[in-house]
Amino acid sequence: MTTPDDRRYTDQHEWALVQGSGGAGTVVRVGITDHAQDALGDIVFVQLPAVGEEVGPGNPIGEVESTKSVSDVYSPVAGTVSAVNEALTDAPETVNADPYGDGWLVEITVAGDGGDPTADLLDAAAYQALVDAS
Amino acid sequence: MTARTSPLHDRHVAAGAKLADFGGWSMPIEYAGGGVLAEHAAVREAVGLFDVSHLGTGTVRGPGAAALVDACLSNDLSRIGPGKAQYTLCCVPDGEPDAGGVVDDLIVYLHGDDDVLLVPNAANAQEVLARLADAAPPGVTVTDRHEEVAVLAVQGPRSAAVLSAAGLAADLSYMAFAGGEGQEVTVCRTGYTGEHGYELLVAADRAGELWDRLLAAGAGEGIRPCGLGARDTLRTEMGYPLHGHELSRSITPNQARSGWAVGWRKPAFWGREALLAEREAGPARLLWGLRAPGRGIPRPGMAVLDDGGARVGEVTSGTFSPTLRTGIALALLDTAAQPAEGAALAVDVRGRPQPVEVVKPPFVPSHVR
Repeated sequence: MTTPDDRRYTDQHEWALVQGSGGAGTVVRVGITDHAQDALGDIVFVQLPAVGEEVGPGNPIGEVESTKSVSDVYSPVAGTVSAVNEALTDAPETVNADPYGDGWLVEITVAGDGGDPTADLLDAAAYQALVDAS
Repeated sequence: MTARTSPLHDRHVAAGAKLADFGGWSMPIEYAGGGVLAEHAAVREAVGLFDVSHLGTGTVRGPGAAALVDACLSNDLSRIGPGKAQYTLCCVPDGEPDAGGVVDDLIVYLHGDDDVLLVPNAANAQEVLARLADAAPPGVTVTDRHEEVAVLAVQGPRSAAVLSAAGLAADLSYMAFAGGEGQEVTVCRTGYTGEHGYELLVAADRAGELWDRLLAAGAGEGIRPCGLGARDTLRTEMGYPLHGHELSRSITPNQARSGWAVGWRKPAFWGREALLAEREAGPARLLWGLRAPGRGIPRPGMAVLDDGGARVGEVTSGTFSPTLRTGIALALLDTAAQPAEGAALAVDVRGRPQPVEVVKPPFVPSHVR
């Protein structure tokens, strides 16, 4: 199980990766961790929010469902959903195959002056420690 | 309580299996490099090897052993002869609370009038055996052999080729078995997947060797170790009941459409009076299949709703059908709501009504015979 150190994590097993800042704010890409996809098993449906939806930290923004169970996905940051990964509709298994890359779920644009909206989340070492302890 | 483990536990761990508790036993759900979808496909298209040693084993032996089983369990043992196995139910006896409810469903292997082997479910094995022991006449002995016997299943269209290559009896008619006392392996043409397949009983200390032999024999046939996750999607596609879901102390065989496993003409079996009365009156609810074409899979315990939003039943099992690529479920629907094949209902999936179609299982064609 890998935990890339280029991004931040939640204790609910989401990752958040700052994509860059533009006029509208900072874009944060969100997905679920390798540990989360492995625990779920084969993912068969992914339910994502509508673009434009306002979300707060800890708000449910979607569901990832496997043959065995379903798991809510929570927003790690406050902002506006600015993109969703439409490719997952036809290929939900991408979340299993590439959870940190092509298996991303949504992008959330956080208003502000360009500060890192993920700074308060867990770093890779802290998340890995959390997984190891579970 | 520590979970009990199969004699094959070390092999599962070495194969990177994810383990989960099944009736007090820690058993593989899926294997590394596999997963439910790949393991399911192996069974439908080639062959899969399962460890189902959580299933109990018990023997009933002595003069009148078969007569005891026939007088207690639901199915008519006189329908089969020695060398055949039969699916049957252990119902709650009349006079007890929940009379006619189901303590367990199980397979009986008829070796002879004085020798019957039982394969009940993990969690219920002790109760089934205890009830039979209480009812046994002098000279008939009921023995729990759960720890002594491992149970493997070889399932799929290539299963006969695998057994032949492993030097085991493959040419058996449906529900026939070969082997018994003094034989290394008892092979029975049965299973829980809807495919041509076998279940193998083997002494626990020989199970590892047999497992390895079957995997080697099946290498050219595309065999894969399969976990209980795939076993559940396979059985759900067939509409087979799972005790605790479609059958239980509060769900009778009449309601679960398991009346075919009841010897209605027998003078005695546990729960006979209660079941005959319910059959006469008509059960208040019946088991149906539901196809869920949308997103969101019906799961056990979810409410089934009519088009006005009124509750008309409850999902007992629900999963993703790897074959149909859609959600499927088994549900007990109230007879009063007059459900019929093709009816459009909904399942309350976490607050969102998901449209479902009422169907008669199996969801995919059976190939067991």
